[in-house]
Amino acid sequence: MRVLEFNNIHRAYKRGVDVLKGISFSLEAGEVVGLLGKNGAGKTTLVRIAMGMIEAQEGTVRIFGLDPREDALEVKRRVGYVSEDQILPEFLTVAEVISLHRGLFPTWDDALERRLRERFELSPKAKIKTLSKGQARQVALLCAVAHRPELLLLDEPAGGLDPAARREFLETSIQLLNEAGSTILFSSHHMTDVERVAGRVVMIHEGRLLLDHALDDLREKYTLVLVPRGPESRRKQLAGLKGCMSVRDQSDSLHAIFGFDPDRCRALMERELGIQSAYCTPIALEDMFIELVGGRS
Amino acid sequence: MQLHINPSDELPIYRQIMHQITDGIAGGRLAPGDQLPSHRDLAAQLVIAPLTVKKAYDELELQGLITTLRGKGTFVSERRPALDLDQRRERLRDAAQRLLSQAALIGVPFAEVMDLLEQIRKGMEQ
Repeated sequence: MRVLEFNNIHRAYKRGVDVLKGISFSLEAGEVVGLLGKNGAGKTTLVRIAMGMIEAQEGTVRIFGLDPREDALEVKRRVGYVSEDQILPEFLTVAEVISLHRGLFPTWDDALERRLRERFELSPKAKIKTLSKGQARQVALLCAVAHRPELLLLDEPAGGLDPAARREFLETSIQLLNEAGSTILFSSHHMTDVERVAGRVVMIHEGRLLLDHALDDLREKYTLVLVPRGPESRRKQLAGLKGCMSVRDQSDSLHAIFGFDPDRCRALMERELGIQSAYCTPIALEDMFIELVGGRS
Repeated sequence: MQLHINPSDELPIYRQIMHQITDGIAGGRLAPGDQLPSHRDLAAQLVIAPLTVKKAYDELELQGLITTLRGKGTFVSERRPALDLDQRRERLRDAAQRLLSQAALIGVPFAEVMDLLEQIRKGMEQ
């Protein structure tokens, strides 16, 4: 079942300043997808469009086949949302914020709420404004998941949290996956977090979809190739080869990414450039991100 | 047997899990009939997506190394799986090639690689 579907989404904040220039991808039930991109790439805008908080100027978004703006109530009841800059009402207590959310969601699970409250060691009487950043985010997470949403939208949920709090956050998400089989779309700059929990990554750059791939395949089917810089024409030659996704200057060598495994890349370098035993290595997500996004701007 | 994973390792996480379980069986730390944690429990323990563990288990099951009994759990297989020898040799060759190129890259001579293999073999036997 298709849980979330973006279809040719366009959005500009000012005329001529496009943030999203035609983004299309979808999430099937049970998938965990990491949304990657530099700051300003449009990740937050995209998630907010999914939540119906802002409108796409072109294209459509569907959640469970519904329009998040026209069917706002039903969509919100079935979705959980946490963002980095989410603001909780400062002068309410933890218990008050929780009960506010409990009232909004028919599917609220009291046992799960209690379990998370105990796990996060949240004191019900504490005022929101006295909480640390990490605790406030935990309140937000609790409110986002206690109704057992079918879809969880997380926009930099762990931004600004320390490693222990981040881990706690991931553990809770995984528990939810285990128990409810939820679908998750989350953006993060912590590549190891993405590598831990995502099955697929979607990378956006300058408003367009740069990559949409199963994470395991990325490691097994993509290769970072390092070759000496050589003659001026080499960069162009590399970029023109089949399978080449990006080429980047790095001091005295060229870094290229190919959509082939290392053995095939080595053979390709020998055949096309006459370079024997080029350094070809599988690529971790963080390097992929830097090479792809860095190689294009 | 305690598993661990490294998200930024060059091997995908499901392969890391497969390797560790395979090593465990080869080295005798996992005996035929031993029960493995459910894929959900292992996912929670390693803090990774449940589907990733499931993928590793599915592949191991295809290779005949583990067996899932419905409603009972996942166990190390009783009998060694029937080997497709050529395929296995090929895989071993790939691994050997990777090992040697890595050694060459960091400048470790061949004799030292042999010593290392010997050491690891002793470790596995213990």
